[in-house]
Amino acid sequence: MLTLLRDLRRLRRTISLPAPDRGRSLAIRHVDAGSCNGCEHELTLLSSPYHDLQRYGLGVVASPRHADLLLVTGAVTTRMREPLLTAYNAMPEPRRVAALGDCALGCAVLGLPGELAGRVEQVLPVNLRIPGCPPTPEAIAEALLAYIDETVERR
Amino acid sequence: MSDYRGTIEKRLDEGWRVGTLYASGETVRALLVSPHGATDLADEPVVDGHARSIVDIAPAAAWSEREAADLYGIRFDGHVPLRPLVDHDLDLTRWTVPVRGNDAYQVAVGPIHAGVIESGHFRFHVVGDRILHLDARLFYKHRGLERAAEGQSPDGGLAFAQRACAACAVSNSVAYAHAWEDALGIVPTPELARIRTVLLELERHWNHLNDIAAICAGVGFAAGNSRFAALTERARRLNESLTGHRFLFDSVSVGGNALSLTLAQVAQASKEIETICEESRAAWRQLLFNASFQDRLPDVGVVSTDDANRLGAVGPAARASGLADDVRTADRRLAYEGFEPVAPKRTAGDVQARIEQRAVELLQTVDILQALLDAPVAPCDAVSGDREAAIGIGRVEGPRGATVCVVERDGTRLERLRLHTGSYANWPVVAHAAAGTLLPDFPLINKSFELCYACADR
Repeated sequence: MLTLLRDLRRLRRTISLPAPDRGRSLAIRHVDAGSCNGCEHELTLLSSPYHDLQRYGLGVVASPRHADLLLVTGAVTTRMREPLLTAYNAMPEPRRVAALGDCALGCAVLGLPGELAGRVEQVLPVNLRIPGCPPTPEAIAEALLAYIDETVERR
Repeated sequence: MSDYRGTIEKRLDEGWRVGTLYASGETVRALLVSPHGATDLADEPVVDGHARSIVDIAPAAAWSEREAADLYGIRFDGHVPLRPLVDHDLDLTRWTVPVRGNDAYQVAVGPIHAGVIESGHFRFHVVGDRILHLDARLFYKHRGLERAAEGQSPDGGLAFAQRACAACAVSNSVAYAHAWEDALGIVPTPELARIRTVLLELERHWNHLNDIAAICAGVGFAAGNSRFAALTERARRLNESLTGHRFLFDSVSVGGNALSLTLAQVAQASKEIETICEESRAAWRQLLFNASFQDRLPDVGVVSTDDANRLGAVGPAARASGLADDVRTADRRLAYEGFEPVAPKRTAGDVQARIEQRAVELLQTVDILQALLDAPVAPCDAVSGDREAAIGIGRVEGPRGATVCVVERDGTRLERLRLHTGSYANWPVVAHAAAGTLLPDFPLINKSFELCYACADR
């Protein structure tokens, strides 16, 4: 078994796989800042057998203290602004923020201006934008994987 | 002064239930619904900011009164203490129930939860693992949709009802369309009724699969969760193939239908539903014969028939407690001729009853879909044929229960929108079901209702 693993590792080195496949992971903390529940339902299916995002090293972690990425859905309501900031401030550096879905990006948001603090970008610095209403599990997976590739390449 | 309380008391004695209650200008308006689907409105004038409460005779109206107090500043005489619901600016002692005694302490959870879950706060009053009382503070996601929709045209307001919740988008949209059509005096043709019924049942289809998966997740049974999650994905792909949207967004319009489906599309959908059904039966058998899974379900989170009725429970949760309450039974605007709610064998009102109720209703939904997906669908319009009214009422059985929409209009301008969803009605029932149970059982109890926060918060 160990021999096999060693051979596999050697093989990987010799055929020079593209950089991201050599090891990547991303710990994600999701915060619903005022969505319609569509983004959550699609995110949930990301861990279903059709997509199984964990196999790429992407996982949802329970605490922002363990997270690399804050994945925010929904236009931020006035009542969720503080909890969102608390979660962000609890994250270790380097920390990144992704705005998931059209509401988070501020497109065609419905609601009373007095009840909304605005799009995610008005509350936190946003590194990754994933549009869609809601984005499909495929679109979310593609965006997250492309983002890791990009970050790894820049390193 | 009209006999507001007297009317309501009389109706409740006759077996009617409170559909919703809301503030409209200088009036508090209660909607009452008979077991046969008839509706009646009872008005209470607001004098100097005060109106009489009905919570002593109809506890189901508690959340509606608290919401009207927070958003419209109405003081409900007799509703003591009138705790805030939507208003979050008050300190803990104002919105929690005081629980005292040896070793009683509080466990605060949320608004941000550990998994991929909507935002909401639960404050458990416990002794050890035993929950004495649960204060649920929701409305973190309150977007003010009802008030934001004021002034809209019938078509313009639809987005507000639909985007209240993705999981119940069709139920909310059809309830909204029915409310406007009721007000404008138009009625759906049989063809329009058929396509709307198909859309509603497609929504119930993916939701029930999703909810069974959620209960598996609630007990940590990964295999069951995976199988039903995979079926949920297939059901959503089916939605997309039919309407172009996985959550069936924008498939409902007021006064007609714009969707068209060919015979081949309809036949293919019917076949896919059959395949999903066969696989869900196999997955269900896997659950039935898994003793460690089944052991977790009975006698947890019990809601008695009386409590379900008193607290205003609706949908599969109410039926699992023995209430034969289903809007589809007496629906005149949709294609539910001869519909009868499935009566559960066991009306124990526990987690097991709620998951089993979904499983049998899923089969019923498949039957309805198979029967209605027998012809192509073409765009069509509703026809005039009813009296016009200033207030229109729409009631639809959504995946989580009766969704009530009330539209008050000035011509074709929306003056007041009220959207009282199944989740809104059932949240107080969840809090009731949690009392007396163990804290580690709460995720399971919560999942057995699988309510939307978005629908309740609006």
